[in-house]
Amino acid sequence: MAIQSENRPVLSLQGVCKAFGGIIVAEDISFDVSSCEMMGLIGPNGAGKTSLLNMISGIYSMDKGRIMFGDVDVSKAPAHKRARLGLARTFQAPRFLQRSNIRDNLLLGTDLADQYTFFQSFIGKKSKDFEEELSELMEIAGFTFDWDDLIAAFPYGRLKILEIVRAMLSKPRILLIDEPAAGLNDIEIGHAVALLKLATEKRGMGVVLIEHKMDMVMNNCHNIVVLNFGKVIAKGQPEMISKNKDVIEAYLGRGYDVAN
Amino acid sequence: MKKKKLVKFLVYLVFVLALILIVPSVTTGYSIMIVDVALLYFIAALGLSVMLGIGGQMTFAAVSFMGVGAFTSAQLSKYAHIPTSLSIILGILVAALFAFLIGLVLLRLKGPFFAFSTISLVQIMSNIFLNYEPLTGGARGIQSIPKLNLGVFSPNNLFGWFYLLIAVAIICGLIVERVRQTHLGRALSSVRDNEIAAMSLGVDVFKTKVVAFTIAGALAGLSGALYAHMSQYISQSLFTFNTSLTFIMMVMLGGVNSTVGTFFGALLVTMLPEWLRPLKQYLMIIYGVGIIFLMVYMPMGLAGVARSILTKCQRKKQQKGAEAANGYSK
Amino acid sequence: MNFLINLFIPLTISGLAMGVIYALMAMGLMLLIRAIGVLNFAQGDLLMFGAYLTYCLKDQLKLPLLIMWISAFLLFAVFGAIFMFSVYYPMRDTTWRQTFTITTIAASFILKDSVQLIWGTNPISVKPLIAGSVKIFGTKIAIQYLLIIGIAAVIIWAVFVIFEKLYAGRMMQAATQDKYAAEIIGIPTMITTLITYMIVVVIAGTAGYMVAPIFFVNPTLGTLQLSAFAGVILGGFGNLKGAVVGSIIIGLIQSYSTLITTTYKDTIVFLVIILVLIFRPQGIFLGSKISDKA
Repeated sequence: MAIQSENRPVLSLQGVCKAFGGIIVAEDISFDVSSCEMMGLIGPNGAGKTSLLNMISGIYSMDKGRIMFGDVDVSKAPAHKRARLGLARTFQAPRFLQRSNIRDNLLLGTDLADQYTFFQSFIGKKSKDFEEELSELMEIAGFTFDWDDLIAAFPYGRLKILEIVRAMLSKPRILLIDEPAAGLNDIEIGHAVALLKLATEKRGMGVVLIEHKMDMVMNNCHNIVVLNFGKVIAKGQPEMISKNKDVIEAYLGRGYDVAN
Repeated sequence: MKKKKLVKFLVYLVFVLALILIVPSVTTGYSIMIVDVALLYFIAALGLSVMLGIGGQMTFAAVSFMGVGAFTSAQLSKYAHIPTSLSIILGILVAALFAFLIGLVLLRLKGPFFAFSTISLVQIMSNIFLNYEPLTGGARGIQSIPKLNLGVFSPNNLFGWFYLLIAVAIICGLIVERVRQTHLGRALSSVRDNEIAAMSLGVDVFKTKVVAFTIAGALAGLSGALYAHMSQYISQSLFTFNTSLTFIMMVMLGGVNSTVGTFFGALLVTMLPEWLRPLKQYLMIIYGVGIIFLMVYMPMGLAGVARSILTKCQRKKQQKGAEAANGYSK
Repeated sequence: MNFLINLFIPLTISGLAMGVIYALMAMGLMLLIRAIGVLNFAQGDLLMFGAYLTYCLKDQLKLPLLIMWISAFLLFAVFGAIFMFSVYYPMRDTTWRQTFTITTIAASFILKDSVQLIWGTNPISVKPLIAGSVKIFGTKIAIQYLLIIGIAAVIIWAVFVIFEKLYAGRMMQAATQDKYAAEIIGIPTMITTLITYMIVVVIAGTAGYMVAPIFFVNPTLGTLQLSAFAGVILGGFGNLKGAVVGSIIIGLIQSYSTLITTTYKDTIVFLVIILVLIFRPQGIFLGSKISDKA
């Protein structure tokens, strides 16, 4: 199974279109993500990156197009079904259960991995040993916590990393990461990158990474998709993207000389 | 960790034992009845604690499900001559089914709209309870409902009921605690705090709410069915909006997110009218003002206060420990 | 034919009159939902309070009509401020949204019981503003009904103008949509909230004054809010216009349903709500789904 999926994409967008009233946020967007691949999704502010992520994870509906997840057409599936199929994500501003402790927040991730029903969980089917996995992840994440700590008392940078950890605990096939570096210091960014590398290299997940920090994207992503005004303006490997005229124009404005 | 749990367990055990030993010896016929009623209300209020405390969904519907459970069990045992133990179970099932169907519809509404729709439900159900005589006996209610007979144990006075109700209350409390600590509880909390996070973590928001609502319905149905056989008389007057409000007060006073808190809340709110008998006229005003003050100064109820005191103590302990360590290192 | 007209015209008029009363309450509900995101469970009790207060001013203090109107208006506004400062202001920073809902329930307790303590529980009958009736198509219609429809129409129109057309209303909308941003561009959100509360209580109180002659003045007037809520659901949430139309439809349904049953009048309304929820969860009017920004 795993070998078979090597050559076939896990996540595949085919002609995705979406408009909010008159504002077009996605126009005929297509790209594939395979397992073990880290895909960068970049573009100027307002290019429609987060909206696209919302469409992939099912929070927004699409106007046109198809999203394939493995062999399953998930274009119409609700968000929770997609998550259960193995599509995990993080948010620009981390979304946690503000009134719960760390335990409940992280266990939600493992619940998703276990896929037990409420009843199975109630009668005491214990979660497959996730503590080992967690301690490995937390070692890379670079900090520790007490199970009973309240989420509300946690610093922002750690919450962002913890959200990646939670997403990885759910053992997804595709991981959608929205601006992990925003608000993090360099050391924390290092930890976040290490987590994502672990996800792709050791766990075989496909990662879609939205990020504004160019060096992070250029150094780690295998492929990059550049969006502007809801359109794909370039697709390819980092070296190609960094020399692409359209991309430079989108970021820096017309008339900027590459040689400069 | 383990030690903490053990201490907690022992504290609860001692408390329950004390309750069982002391309460019957200091109460008389009338006051034991109030304690029994408080326990019954606690069981119904637990359902609210699941919906409101864990799931963040305000509902008033518990009292209607209580009524459905009570009338079902009363009718089945009195007219169909079904054994009371079975009729209670059927009462629970019918109440749960009713809650499930109502939940499927009303839970399409969100937040305050859902809350308000449950108020309509309560009004309409109490209207039906009052007017649909074949099922509910109308304004006269149903009299001489058979006594409870469980085979091994049949409470024949209010003290017997007290032991039975304590046992049922503990079982229900444990179930709710278990819910809190397993997938359903976490899913519900995620619905409460962040629906989008919930969805992206694979939680079916609607289904989760419906399941919780059904559980709340079953608990209320159980409470109602037991009530029917305990007092042997039920009428619509119990299953009105005001009873629903007392459930809300119990949960809010005790602590919306705490089972033990809800227990004390149920006890206090049931006792309060007795203690405040001379001020009976002003009771609702006192309640109202009390609730507002409660919301301002202790929104998490008694349990919230207890928790903050506990953490303060712990912090002091830690500080002392840290100071001691510092002193040693110097 | 004559028989049908004789039956339907009074039912339509009285249904319409009740419908606009519900509409006034539904508007109050919607304004508060939009302003602070709270469903006011004391809306019906505010109406009841309005009925008692105007009864007190008119029949107990025997004020002249004009002075009575002005003083009632001022008292309602003041009461709106008191209402806000007791059930909203102290909890405004809470993270637990249910708090507001629960405090409005508490307010409903307090209102209901204070009214009973002051005026007793016996229903009080109040004379209509203009007694008597007119003949429409040969059927007698009490003038009070027509008055209600007329006055309510004016109030509904005024609220629309204030909240949808005037700058002040847009300011209030801004304050509700993004409190933080509104404060940055200099909108005093606390004052807009206060004014919203005042308007809500004035509307509810006026509605109470108008229904008093139809029903007796009594503490159970508060239950009228259930129908207003039904109207809000029917019209689709968050939509002022829908709430008004929905409420009027509810009023008519209730009125016509008396042909079949009187005991289950409210049950029929509830059934309508359930049907709407099953088949058109977004309300009977076109309401676009507002999705939370992720």
